[in-house]
Order: sequence, then structure tokens, then C-alpha cells
Amino acid sequence: MSKESTAGVIFSLPFIIGLIAFILVPMGMSLYYSFCDYNIISEPVFVGLDNYKKLFTGDEIFLTSLGITFRFALISVPLRLFFALAVAMILLKKTRMTGFYRATYYLPSIIGGSVAVSILWKRLFASDGVLNLLISGLGEPFTYSWLGNTSTAIWVLIILSVWQFGSSMLIFLASLKQIPTSLYEAAKVDGASRASQFCKITFPLLTPTLFFNLVMQTINGFLAFTQCYIITQGKPMNSTLFYTVYMYQQSFEYYHTGYGAAMAWVMLALIAMITWLLFGTKKFWVYDGGL
Amino acid sequence: MKKGIVTLLVLVLSLSLCITAIAQESTEPINLTVAWWGSQTRADVTQAALKLYASENENVVFDGQFFAFADYWNKLATAAAGHTMPDVIQMDYKYLSQYVSNGLLADLTPYIEDGTLDVSGVDQSVLDSGKVGDGLYALCIGINAPSLIYNKTLLDANGIAIKDNMSMEEFVALCREVYEKTGYKTNICYNNGTTWAEFQMRAKGIVLFQEDKLGGTQEDLEEIFSIYEQGIKEGWHVEPSVFAEVSIGQPEQEPLVYGSTPASMSWCAFYYSNNMTALQNAAPEGVELGITTWPSDEPQKANFLKPAMFFAVTVDSKAPEAAAKFLNYWTNSVECNKTLVGERGVPVSAAVAAEIKDSMSAVNQTVVNYINNVVTPNCSVINPPVPSAASEVYQLIYQLQEKVCYGAITAQEAAAELFEQGNAIMAGK
Amino acid sequence: MNKVRKTLPAAIYHIVVCFFGFVMIFPLVWMIMSSFKPTNTIFTTASQLIPETWELQNYVNGWKGFADISFGVFFGNSLFIATVATLGTVLSSSMVAFGFARCRFRGRGLLFVAMLLSMMLPAQVLMIPQYLWYQKLSWIGTYMPMIAPYFFAIQGFFIYLMVNFINGLPKELDEAAKIDGCSYAGIYAKIILPLTVPALITAGIFSFMWRWDDFLSALLYVNKSVMYPVSLALKLFCDPGSTSDFGAMFAMATLSIIPSVLIFIFLQRYLVEGISTSGLKG
Repeated sequence: MSKESTAGVIFSLPFIIGLIAFILVPMGMSLYYSFCDYNIISEPVFVGLDNYKKLFTGDEIFLTSLGITFRFALISVPLRLFFALAVAMILLKKTRMTGFYRATYYLPSIIGGSVAVSILWKRLFASDGVLNLLISGLGEPFTYSWLGNTSTAIWVLIILSVWQFGSSMLIFLASLKQIPTSLYEAAKVDGASRASQFCKITFPLLTPTLFFNLVMQTINGFLAFTQCYIITQGKPMNSTLFYTVYMYQQSFEYYHTGYGAAMAWVMLALIAMITWLLFGTKKFWVYDGGL
Repeated sequence: MKKGIVTLLVLVLSLSLCITAIAQESTEPINLTVAWWGSQTRADVTQAALKLYASENENVVFDGQFFAFADYWNKLATAAAGHTMPDVIQMDYKYLSQYVSNGLLADLTPYIEDGTLDVSGVDQSVLDSGKVGDGLYALCIGINAPSLIYNKTLLDANGIAIKDNMSMEEFVALCREVYEKTGYKTNICYNNGTTWAEFQMRAKGIVLFQEDKLGGTQEDLEEIFSIYEQGIKEGWHVEPSVFAEVSIGQPEQEPLVYGSTPASMSWCAFYYSNNMTALQNAAPEGVELGITTWPSDEPQKANFLKPAMFFAVTVDSKAPEAAAKFLNYWTNSVECNKTLVGERGVPVSAAVAAEIKDSMSAVNQTVVNYINNVVTPNCSVINPPVPSAASEVYQLIYQLQEKVCYGAITAQEAAAELFEQGNAIMAGK
Repeated sequence: MNKVRKTLPAAIYHIVVCFFGFVMIFPLVWMIMSSFKPTNTIFTTASQLIPETWELQNYVNGWKGFADISFGVFFGNSLFIATVATLGTVLSSSMVAFGFARCRFRGRGLLFVAMLLSMMLPAQVLMIPQYLWYQKLSWIGTYMPMIAPYFFAIQGFFIYLMVNFINGLPKELDEAAKIDGCSYAGIYAKIILPLTVPALITAGIFSFMWRWDDFLSALLYVNKSVMYPVSLALKLFCDPGSTSDFGAMFAMATLSIIPSVLIFIFLQRYLVEGISTSGLKG
């Protein structure tokens, strides 16, 4: 073995051990459960493909929740990325207040999915909530029930997700810092405008990070759980039921844990396919050369 | 002389060693883990009771664990899978048969037979609620009954009187009257447990959740939904969108006590009697709550006493006998129940209940009166524990209720869907 | 005139950033304000931001905790778990990322795919298998499940993040070092590690926050109340079905975000000053 591959294996060793000891074992078990009739408290019984068959033939809610999850991910992920990038660019400017501003925009991401957020979000969008009070201030009293209507409830969850764009923003910030200032200095000497600096230097050099954020946020978007679980639980009339929340209900409320595992593996296959497609587009737009 | 002293010393030493050995043996600590769900108030009183017991039984070391309801069952199910359950667990009627059929709970009958657990003061029907098959797997630790908790202040101010054991017709008339006079609407247990559906069926002599099917015909089931259809149509039932903005089942956000306009509030709430304190605490200042029975045309058939909560000993317990001894204390000790202040419902032992009544709060005394004088003389035995498929049917009923209230389907269609899908779920298809 | 032309855009910048900043943190301000309201008025006065009377009682009640265990203990537990797990994650992920990014070896592609796949399974279905597995390792009731695995770079997110950053560094640096006779360990320690500080900082901020908020593992693996972290203790303030002390919950929720905020404020300066640029010049 060459020195390089020895070094590679040694450096990767923590992950190789972690993968075998802490990832593959539980993943393998859950794959096995997906072929079983299993309710947590009794022993799993192997039933072959039954769970998968039932998913694709006899479960309307499975399809509904899948559709909702796609919609949620397709809307919230681009919005999140857009805000993250825009705000990161804006907050790159060095002023005395920069630290404070960054904290302000990052704070919503810190409080995560606690009970406090769930109460707060419901109060914001309640028919007598803060948002409607503001709208009422413009004229007519306004008491629309955002969470009570099947067409708007999902947006309340999307807004919550977009509001917490902080983590992508932080990654953008860190990677903006990585762009060598020498490049900008050279561009200035050439008399390039700030817009063309962005197009020719910043954006291309940021594309790997953008790609990273896109992949990560897409995975997270499809696996979104908290927003629905703490705020709507799928109400009204299953119009906001996320896939993972339905899976959770099956696993831990109806105790169809084997069925829930099958749902999880279907989701994994879907996300893997989408991620693979994303990686396929990589060569068209992601800057990939050393400096 | 010297030799004698040495012998004596050796004797004394070995004797003292023996004694310490014996002493150690008898005080070898027994670790008992007790788990329950509930609020901080419950945690405080329960921990105090555990402490009291530990102070009287020095070899027992308690570890009290408590969680919110949903988390509790997740944790317990996981621990059951790993056979690492706590020694004593709080059990709910809903999960009892499931845990017993998987062999996770210990049968308490032997401890009753050998006198460790004295249940002579407990009413037989209350005791039987913890039975599955021939074994007694859970000990009831407090009694409850379905209760209509209402805004007494509001009704009094408008000259509306409430009587116990209203018929459905009287109840609907009352809802209309309250709505016309005050603008307050009614919340009929919307999406909050299916006891109301079971209660309605009981009045017809039907057990809703049976072994592998739903009780009753499609026509019978229609009654579960028609009341909502009527209420929404006539305007006196709270709009479903109101419930999307609150956490259902949280006393603080119950439309009875919470809401900015009468249209989003209810004059009553369908709850269990042990929630009275929580609701009264959550009520705005100056609002007094009253308690009465759920409406029914057949109150005696429909009403029941419910074991509010159980304690069960798990098969994972290494000291089941000590656990049973602790349950005995919980059931029969006046001191212990004084500490617990009836937080989990009325104590099951009649003697203990009478003894602690005076030390209870005014609200809890009202509840005790309600249970003893209104429900007990006019009720029948609770339905058997529900099979595990029931929780999926619960969700189905919620969704159908929701659809009916949103006007997406009629009560008749909802009944048809419940009949078809509910039966399929119960049959395990 | 000149001064105006200079300060006006700056002023507009600050006004706009402040305005949107306020919109962003409004919900948080609401939460903090609620924590000073008497607990029974939180819902009834929800649309009113400023409390009528300021009360500290919620903090007093909340801090008492439960079962004679003060909230200080829970904070201590969380701090311990989050700090140790974060150190483990950042160190191990950074090492592995170097291996992935800078060394070609057989199986690298496979490992990379495994890392991506490991992120695609919903965490909820792994609860039971993980529990059963950790039980085999006799880890139940200890902090081990919440700490030990993180020393083995099990969060693909962090590996991938750092691979991405290392890829952004010019390869010439390594080559030059290699020619100077530097080993791989030397390149990692002397060149890559210092140059990826922004990534390490970012990872540290995330990891701390996520470990701090992690409720599920705490629920499943911790048994004794003395060992509860803040995330689990907070949930006990609000149980549907019995009276909940929302005031105390808001108060403790407010306190519980402080460590993450402080960590962020303290560490984010490294994202401003930028250590990387100086090393890359020329």
C-alpha cells in the first residue's frame, strides 16, 4: 500500500469504526424490521414484502404525506438557501455592529424546535394573533385563520423553516471568508465593478458551498419533522402531514413499527435518488478547480 | 491472662464482624425505580410520597422518573423492547391489555394471596378494572369519571341552570340557549380522546372497541358524527379552525377557559373529573367552574367510573415483592395519600378516601362529591381495555370529526367510512 | 456633502438590517417578554408584547426545578454533554475529512457514499435499534450513547462540511510541504488544521447547539433525574392533561438558549477576522 492510501485509511479510521459500530448495526436492524411485523414490545416476525406492498397499494395517507413533503421541500429549500446567501453577503460588510447583526439573524436557528417555538408560532398566526393584529392595523379587522385553513396551514410551517436559515448562512459566511482577498485586490487593479467581482469571483468560488448546502438542505427538507410535529400534527385534514410525522405515528402511536421502518427505507431510496441527480448536475455549475 | 485477653479480643472481634455482616445483609438496599407521567405538581407530591416511604423503610432506595405523556410511552416501549423497564410503572387503561398480552407486567394475585398487598378496602369493580384474563396486572390508584365541566359563572349570570344527567335533547337545547344569550359556543370533546364516542355507544349498550371489530352498525356509528354536523350547521359548535391554533388537551388552552372572543370559546368542556383542578387553575380570575355528567339518554348505561391511573409491577423488576409492598403502602396508607392530595383522582380505598377528604382542596372535594353522589349510584361497569389497534381507529375518528366539521363530508359518509375502515383496522388488515 | 454621501448609504444599511433583524427576533423577544408575565396571563395577554407587571417569579419557580434538583444541575449536565460531544465531533470529523479530501485510497468512494446514505434515514426509525444496541454495550443509564459515538465522526454532515472546506484550499500547499519532507500527519496538523479554523468554528457552533437541544437521546438513555439535561427537563414543564407552568417553561427556555448564544457570539468573531486569508496570500 502506498504511503498515501495508508494515510487515507488511518485518517478515515474513526469514521470506519463509527460506521461499523454505530451506523451500520442500527441501520441493518431497521432494514430487517421493515420486512417484519413488529410492534416494539413483542418480537419481530418476518413477513417478507408485506409492509412494502401495503404502502404502495393500500395506503392513501402515505401518498398524501409524500406529496406534502415534496411540496414543503421544493418550496422551503430554495427560499432558505436564498435568504441564507443574501444575508451572509449583506453581513459580510465589516462594521462595529456586524457581530450583533449576525447573532440576531442566527438566533432563530438556536431555539430550534422547542415547545416555546410551537406556542409562539401558533400565537403569531392565530386568528387573533400578532400577524392579524398588524394587518388589522391597516384598516378592516382581520381574523383569517392561517392554521385553520387547508390552503394556508402548510405555509405557516414553510415560513418557520425559512425563518431558521441561520445554519446555511453560517456556512456561507465561513466559506466567504475562505476566498483569498488577493483575488479581489487583483480584480480591483483591473477595475472590475463590485457586480462583476461577485459574478466572476465570489459566486464561482462559492458554488461548492452552495452545492453542499443544497444537498444538505434537500436531505433535511425531505426529512423535516419538527415543524409539523410540534405545530400542526398534520392538521387540518392532513393538509400538513409530513412523511416523517406519519411514519412516526405508524411506529410509535399505532405501534406498526415494521411498517414505519419500511416507510423510512422508501424515503431513503427517494432521497438517495434525488441526491444522485443533484450530484449529476454538479459538473455543469459547480466550480471545481484548485485556486 | 494474656492469652485470655487475646481470646476475648478475638471473640469480640469475630462477633462484631458477624453482627455487621448480618446487619449489612438485612439493610442491603433494594433499588426501586418508579416511573410515571405528569406535571410538576404530580412529580412533587409523588416524590414526597416516595421519600415518606423510604424514611419508614430504610433499605428501600427510590429512583423516581417522570415524563410528559407521549414521551413516557415512547420511553416505556423502548425500555420494554430492551427489557429494562422500571420496577413500578404508571399504567393507562388504554395500554393495559397490550402490555399484558406481551407478557410485560407481573401478576399481582400472588401478593394479594400472601397478604403483601391488602386490597380489602377497595371496591371489587374498581379492582377488576386492572384484570386481564385471570390475572390482576395493575392496581388502580385513583378513580375518575367522565365529567362535563362548565362555566358556572357565565351560566349563573344568564339565569341558566344545569342539572345532572341531562338528556341529549336537553343538552342540545342548552347549547342553543347559551349561544343565543351569550355568544359562547360548545366544544363537544373535539379531537380529544374517543371516550365520548365510546360513551355514546354505551348508552346503546354497545362496546365500541371489540376484540377484532367495531361494535354497532353503521347507523349506530352515525350518532358519533351527527352531533357535530348539527352543531356546526346551527352555529353553536366551535369552528374547527379554532382548534388548529391551540394544543388540544392542554387545560390552559381549552376553549372553556381560553379564547379572545365568545365565538372561539366554549361554555363547557368534556373531560375527566381529575382535570377539574387544572381547568380551574387555568380559568380566568372570577370564573367558577361547575361539574356534571356528560349528556346521555341512558345515563346509567353510559356513565362509568374509570381507574384514573394504575400502578403495575413489570416483569423486569428484580424486587417484585418490595414493589408490591410499596403498592400496598400507596393503597392503604393515610399518610401517603395525604401527601398525594388526590392528585391522581380519588383514592381507591374507601377508608383512606374518607380519611383524607378534609385535607383536600375545595375543588377536589367537589370532585369527590360528584363521584360518590352523582356517578357512583348511577353508572355501569367500564368497557374492557381496548385492543392495540384502537389507537389507529382513534386517529381515524379524529380525522372524520375534522372532515365533518369542515363540511367536507356528511355525518352519514363519516359513519360509512368509520364502519368500513375502522373494522378493517380492528381486524388487522 | 461628501460626508453625507458616505454616511447615508451606511445609515440606510443599518436601518434595513436592523428592521429585518427585528422581524427575525421578534418571536424571541415575545418569548423573553412572556417569561416575565405572571404565568396565568401568558395566554390571555399573548398579543401584548410588554408585560403589564414585570415578575421574576417564573425564574424563581423554574430554577427550583423538580424533585429537589435545581435547574443549575440540568445546565451543568447539558454543558458537560454538549462540550465533550462537540470536541469529539469536531476533532474526529476534521481528521476523517482530511483523509477523504487529500488522500486517494481504495474504498474512499464507498465510504463517501455510506456517509451520505447514513444521513438519509429518518432518525426516528433508528431509535429502537440504537437503544437495543447500546443496551448490549451496557450504555443505558449513562451518558455514553450521547457522547462516545461522536468521537467516531458519525455525523456525516460535519465530515462533508469539512471535506468541502479542505477542497477549497489550494493543493499546491500540500505539494510544497511534501517536497519539504512533511508527512501526512504534518500536513494535517501544520497546514490544513490552521487553515480550516472557520470550518471548525462553524462545526463547533452547530454541534454544540444540536447536542444542547438533543431531547430524544436524553429521553431514551438517561434514567436518573439528576442526570437530565436541560432539553429533557424543559419538556417536563408542559405536560398536556395536567396543569403546566408555562411561565416557568418560558423562563427556563430563555435561560437555556443563553449558552448557545454566548458560544455563537464568542466564536463568530473568528469568522470575521479570518485566519485563512493571510496564509493564502501570494
